[in-house]
Amino acid sequence: MLGVLRGLAGTLSTMVRKPVTIQYPTVHRGLPERERGFPLLLWDHEVGEPFCTGCHACERACPTECISVTMRDNPLAAEEKSKRRKIVGHYLLDYGRCVRCRICVEVCNFSAITMNNTWRGHELSRYDRADLVMDLEKLLAQSKARQIEPWVAP
Amino acid sequence: MSQLGDFFDNVWVDAFWRLLVVLVLMVVVVLVLTYVERKVIGRIQMRLGPMRTGPYGILQPIADMIKVLLKEDLRPATADRVAFELAPFLAFVPAFLVLVAIPFTEGWGVRVLSLGLLYFIAVSGLPVLGYIVAGWGSDNKYALLGAMRSAAQLISYEVPFVLAVLALSMLAGSLNLVDIVERQGRVPFIVWQPLGFFIFLTCVISDLTRRPFDTAAAESELVGGPWIEFSGIRWSILYALTEYTSMFALTLLGSLIFLGGWDWPLGRDLGWWWQLILIFTKTASLILFIMWATATFPRVRVDQLMAFCWKLLLPLALVQIFLNGLILVYGWPDWTLLLTSGLALAVAGYVIYATLRVRGPVRTIALRSGA
Repeated sequence: MLGVLRGLAGTLSTMVRKPVTIQYPTVHRGLPERERGFPLLLWDHEVGEPFCTGCHACERACPTECISVTMRDNPLAAEEKSKRRKIVGHYLLDYGRCVRCRICVEVCNFSAITMNNTWRGHELSRYDRADLVMDLEKLLAQSKARQIEPWVAP
Repeated sequence: MSQLGDFFDNVWVDAFWRLLVVLVLMVVVVLVLTYVERKVIGRIQMRLGPMRTGPYGILQPIADMIKVLLKEDLRPATADRVAFELAPFLAFVPAFLVLVAIPFTEGWGVRVLSLGLLYFIAVSGLPVLGYIVAGWGSDNKYALLGAMRSAAQLISYEVPFVLAVLALSMLAGSLNLVDIVERQGRVPFIVWQPLGFFIFLTCVISDLTRRPFDTAAAESELVGGPWIEFSGIRWSILYALTEYTSMFALTLLGSLIFLGGWDWPLGRDLGWWWQLILIFTKTASLILFIMWATATFPRVRVDQLMAFCWKLLLPLALVQIFLNGLILVYGWPDWTLLLTSGLALAVAGYVIYATLRVRGPVRTIALRSGA
């Protein structure tokens, strides 16, 4: 009988407690600083061009071979506005193949690529697999809009 | 104007609009109860319950209704066609008919029957017929097992239920629900009959086949009661509509005969809307208690279920009748009713405690070394 009453008291106490549910699509929980979303390219706001020089380091290091980069001469360097003589031409990154291993970030000599630590690095549902192949414009958009800070290793 | 009055005085018209009001009330109550139950149980489990459809998920029952109406109406190929299609109505119609005898306010009910309590008890036991027919008709051994269990359970628990209500009607000296409410006066019968109320509430929870007495619908053993093979609107009638209507009717009865109905504590001079508010508040509190119990208790075994009914509730109900008879015959004062009934309830509590108590040291499973 005491157990019966104790059970009722238990459920009553949980009833007045705050629910633990987070209504996910409308309410986003904060993500940790070192959250590992899909990789993104960073935009050099001082010069107005990507940090990436198209050096192929990430392409060679990528274990799933989901990155392909081309390099071209930097037109801004000819005008002496930029110190980068070479700059990225095309940059294709297949989010469908990427395993988020962070090796591309480790090998990048110019800190031009980073892991997306915002919710936009996760909410990537698409109807077509081809839509998951990101081009240079899409990879740079978030950094260009100053919506991501590059994460600094501790 | 007098022509309109004559029109409404016609027996058939009168019966029709009263039934219509009760039918609409019942549908609304069922919709609200499905929502409230999900919300309450959600909160008890520290969830939110339905939140998406409308503000705070308030349109969820409407969405459920549309979904259930649009679902395919499946019937197993080997099912007994007549029995299968008839069963939902055999279960639902008695559950609704019960509401006919209930006086919602002092002067308003579909019909005030002089043997209202008897009618209530007789008709509220009938849905079990629908369950048996459903279990038999769907040609499924689990459905039949569920039907057998629910038949055994409902018939067993009907006995202490009737005896507890009978003990109460001894005090009221009437089977007319209006008389019983008016006889309670300043002190509702729950004060004089705590044991009777305990038995009544237990039997109500059992009649609704809710936890801890939901062996008939035990999902983990029987897949899901006599309504396994039903889908769509038939399932909805057989299960949801019947269960929530029965719940509403039984708690209404409880608030009428045990909690003072529309009379206590405000008196009956305040007008019908106050009476309605009173009776629905009492009913709602009983319903919330039942939901609370549903969310709390684990299911009992079948033998425990039967033992609890026949070995504890039935003797206690008989004791209650005996005590009431003794006190009424010798004309002892009212407080002896409370004393004896309370003492018997304490004895019941001790018996349950002693039965459930773990004797000796609590068994623990030894960890393997290194684990």
